[in-house]
Amino acid sequence: MEDYGSSDDDYRYSDQDDSDCELYENNDQNFELLSSTAQVITEESLLAAQKEDLRRVMDMLSVRQHHARTLLIYHRWDVDHLFEVYVEKGKAYMFAQAGVSVDEYHGSNSLVSASVMCEICMDDIPSDEATRVDCGHCFCNSCWTQHFIVKINEGQSKRIRCMAHKCNSICDEAIVSSLLAREHPDMAEKYERFLLESYIEDNKRVKWCPSTPHCGNAIRVEGDKLCEVECSCGDQFCFNCLSEAHSPCSCLMWELWEKKCRDESETVNWITVHTKPCPKCHKPVEKNGGCNLVSCICGQAFCWLCGGATGRDHTWSSIAGHSCGRFKEQEKTAERAKRDLYRYMHYHNRYKAHTDSFKLESKLKDTIRGRISKSEETKSSELSDYSWVHNGLSRLFRSRRVLSYSYAFAFYMFGDELFKEEMSKAEREIKQNLFEDQQQQFESNVEKLSKMLEEPFDTFEYDKVMEIRMQIIDLSTLIDGLCKKMYECIENDLLGSINLGTIHSIAPYKSKGIERASELQVCWSNKANNTGVTAEFDRSEESGCSSRKRARKDGEMFDLNLPADALDRI
Amino acid sequence: MQASRARLFKEYKEVQREKTADPDIQLVCDDSNIFKWTALIKGPSETPFEGGIFQLAFSVPEHYPLQPPQVRFLTKIFHPNVHFKTGEICLDILKTAWSPAWTLQSVCRAIIALMAHPEPDSPLNCDSGNLLRSGDVKGYQSMARMYTRLAAMPKKG
Ligand SMILES: [Zn+2]
Ligand SMILES: [Zn+2]
Ligand SMILES: [Zn+2]
Ligand SMILES: [Zn+2]
Ligand SMILES: [Zn+2]
Ligand SMILES: [Zn+2]
Ligand SMILES: [Zn+2]
Repeated sequence: MEDYGSSDDDYRYSDQDDSDCELYENNDQNFELLSSTAQVITEESLLAAQKEDLRRVMDMLSVRQHHARTLLIYHRWDVDHLFEVYVEKGKAYMFAQAGVSVDEYHGSNSLVSASVMCEICMDDIPSDEATRVDCGHCFCNSCWTQHFIVKINEGQSKRIRCMAHKCNSICDEAIVSSLLAREHPDMAEKYERFLLESYIEDNKRVKWCPSTPHCGNAIRVEGDKLCEVECSCGDQFCFNCLSEAHSPCSCLMWELWEKKCRDESETVNWITVHTKPCPKCHKPVEKNGGCNLVSCICGQAFCWLCGGATGRDHTWSSIAGHSCGRFKEQEKTAERAKRDLYRYMHYHNRYKAHTDSFKLESKLKDTIRGRISKSEETKSSELSDYSWVHNGLSRLFRSRRVLSYSYAFAFYMFGDELFKEEMSKAEREIKQNLFEDQQQQFESNVEKLSKMLEEPFDTFEYDKVMEIRMQIIDLSTLIDGLCKKMYECIENDLLGSINLGTIHSIAPYKSKGIERASELQVCWSNKANNTGVTAEFDRSEESGCSSRKRARKDGEMFDLNLPADALDRI
Repeated sequence: MQASRARLFKEYKEVQREKTADPDIQLVCDDSNIFKWTALIKGPSETPFEGGIFQLAFSVPEHYPLQPPQVRFLTKIFHPNVHFKTGEICLDILKTAWSPAWTLQSVCRAIIALMAHPEPDSPLNCDSGNLLRSGDVKGYQSMARMYTRLAAMPKKG
């Protein structure tokens, strides 16, 4: 697979050098920042990331941390949804549903009697060797411990229920941890790890970065989950399907395309249509003339049409002692397979041409870096700003990607595989023309930009450099607009007109390229090694960021996680 | 392993002590294997199973009582929640709703309750479930009674 992973770090717009990009970039950067904000969650910030959500639930419902976690795990860490249920159905309903018992047990005799009868092992146990959980049920420590181990091994560690009949209550994580830690510290560790990772695994907004070897990070997105992000490790991926970023292909199209490229299934088809196994020795035999009687090197003759063994006498139209009449159908299949193969080759060649160009142009980076440093030595200070080269180059890289994927998109959009029934032949033709027109305009300008960037500007006079600079800036703006238009055409005129729900939605166009996930702002105390679920929450350090938290408008969750500089711009 | 053995032994003693407490259930432990039990239960009255004696086989897992025992009917029975061929029972407490506080004795009681109150919506025996769901209670009862007579009643003579 083509690897764009080793990306163009040096060629992305950083927030600082926006002096030039203001000139020609659309002024909607703020909008783009708001519509999707992704954050990197590292092993270190995982605890902090979930503390944030835990804290909100704890504050809102005045519950203790383990109850907040039980509620959040039940609602798959969707705080908004949790609050909705709270408002609509009430606290009592919500707690019962998730298995939270907050009415703490006030047993009168818990201190009085020196022993309790454990209903599980049916032994009398000294009270100090038994543990009572939130729901009031009390069993001996060793039964509890065994119960926890069985549940963790069954993969149910995130929701370990009480052992009593019909009791739906989820066990307090602190009790689970501390009882396990006594004799099974490995299990306690496993349990705490599971609880922590629940934040990633059970959370619609968070996914592990798909990099291999795994960088250890997860990405959290706010807002639309159909987007493309870049992890701090440099891996760029589609948040929805976790494969490489592939817009304007839909996830399904990309999956099919990758598979097709992998098995070259058309070629396989071609071979199966053009060869047949010999009925005697089973080797594939190729048909080499018009005649339907073929013979294998082993000497066996057989009918090409049905594969059956025959004698050797035949005429042009019939084989002695044999009539099967399947020729027409067979011929049609062969025709179709051939046509499909050529069609696939057409799109694949263009797809490949752009990915190959992308690789070649990646080398241009170094060349250009060289030219800039050379210019800086020789040219006057009037030409100190080279952001136009950087920006032009990253525009080129981005456009190349889009171009190559646009061919995979077109292969499916106008082929029979996905939308045969969705469009009439005439309709398809009109749409194909519309799309190809836009694609070609976009493509030809990208090629122009590529040429322009190869100019050895370090050897030019000042005026000539300024001219190239203007041309590159203009071209970049033009290409950005064309690319955006092509996306809009795909979203509205092509995919939008086919009513398929969201299967074929695509990640929206980002003028500035794939968004790089920002590091999670850790404002919770994250003392060394306190990955433990019982780790204390440090209130004093919280105040440092609370103003930012309060600044958000009620009900708008994404504001909470905006990087500070984005907030300033609002 | 040790814990389950100890608990089963306690249940065994309890069964011995309260032999007459529940005349509808007779639990017996295998002589050589404390993890294998059988039970004879009486078909509940005012049901098509009345008058029948049904044999159950228990297979107890090593993590018992943290994991539920496997139970099946050895006696043929026509019931929507029992597989007609294998005798498997579809009962929530034997699966997801299991609690370690259940005992073999209380499982038997739950099975007797299931015989009296079938759940036609999660059938293991589709014919039987369909009869009940289509409202043909008479048809269900006569089939069930026939099988009770054929399989669960001592042969006379
Ligand atoms: Zn116990
Ligand atoms: Zn309980
Ligand atoms: Zn990563
Ligand atoms: Zn995708
Ligand atoms: Zn041969
Ligand atoms: Zn011939
Ligand atoms: Zn033939």
